[in-house]
Amino acid sequence: MSQSDKKSPNGVRKETPPALNFLLMGAGSIFTSMLIAGFLVGYMLDQIFETTPIMLMVCAVLGFIGGIQKVHKLTSKLDRVEQTERKDD
Amino acid sequence: MGTVEYIQHHLTNNTIGEGFWTFNMDTIVVSFLLGALIVFMAARLGKKLETGTPGGFQNFVESILDFVATNVRDAFPGHNPLIAPIALTIFLWVWIMNFMDLIPVDLLPYLYQLITGDSHAYLKVVPTTDLNTTLAMSFTVFALILFYNIKIKGVVGFIKMFLFHPFGKFFVPVNVVMTLIEEIAKPLSLALRLFGNMFAGELVFLLIALIGGTLAVGAAALFWAPLQVLLDLGWLIFHLLVITLQAFIFMVLTIVYLGMAHDEGH
Repeated sequence: MSQSDKKSPNGVRKETPPALNFLLMGAGSIFTSMLIAGFLVGYMLDQIFETTPIMLMVCAVLGFIGGIQKVHKLTSKLDRVEQTERKDD
Repeated sequence: MGTVEYIQHHLTNNTIGEGFWTFNMDTIVVSFLLGALIVFMAARLGKKLETGTPGGFQNFVESILDFVATNVRDAFPGHNPLIAPIALTIFLWVWIMNFMDLIPVDLLPYLYQLITGDSHAYLKVVPTTDLNTTLAMSFTVFALILFYNIKIKGVVGFIKMFLFHPFGKFFVPVNVVMTLIEEIAKPLSLALRLFGNMFAGELVFLLIALIGGTLAVGAAALFWAPLQVLLDLGWLIFHLLVITLQAFIFMVLTIVYLGMAHDEGH
């Protein structure tokens, strides 16, 4: 937990709940599981529409993009925490 | 027994049935017993609660309760009386299932083999090193996420979330697939993280156990046996941290995901 949490428990904590830190910790597994989920969904769609292997490839790419997007979103929240910390200093 | 067989033997479940209907009996029985242990301890403590100065065990349980309640308060927007008990159950159950990892790897299988008289009987005592356990838990959480998504946002809101979520209204087909992937990734990441960490931890314990088993022959034991004890102790202390952290992460992510499901503005 960051120092700013201790300094101003009401102000900063609302923006950055401590649980966020643990979401950040899982960024790696979120990325990989997005990719795996992409493959799974693609495989499922392929089975339904009989389009092997087009949907599998498309969904894998989508999962990859989604994974990067999610990790980016998570880490950009980290930027905000650092900025508020700098303001406190 | 060779090293490969030793490791494989320890990582094979004791099963009943075949094909799709294979039941990993050791996983089911051990996790059920551990769950029963938690219920039993809680019931016993509940009977003799003290209001004045609580004893050691009550103090300990109260601090865990406090810890979980603080996390729920921090990570969960809004109010739902179901979340804190779920979080507490997950934390305690996952922790105690992970704790089975710290029992010497050969002890329980050896005892089991003595009892059954079968020297090749399989027994995998750590339920969380079985992907079935972690997936079952994460799918339960997933079902709750879906339930609260539909309950809070309504069916229309839920469908809207699928249609317009990441890229706006001009990419509806992409959005549907993307949201589908995103939702499926949630239980997957929960289950795979816990399984991966515990499985790897168990594997390291097995490898350390192999030091004594294969290398400590004759005078070499003077060197290898103390090394095994040292390594085992080190990994045990480190692993104690890992099992607590994994149980905690599973709990916090459950709270966060359920919190997202309760968030209407999402």
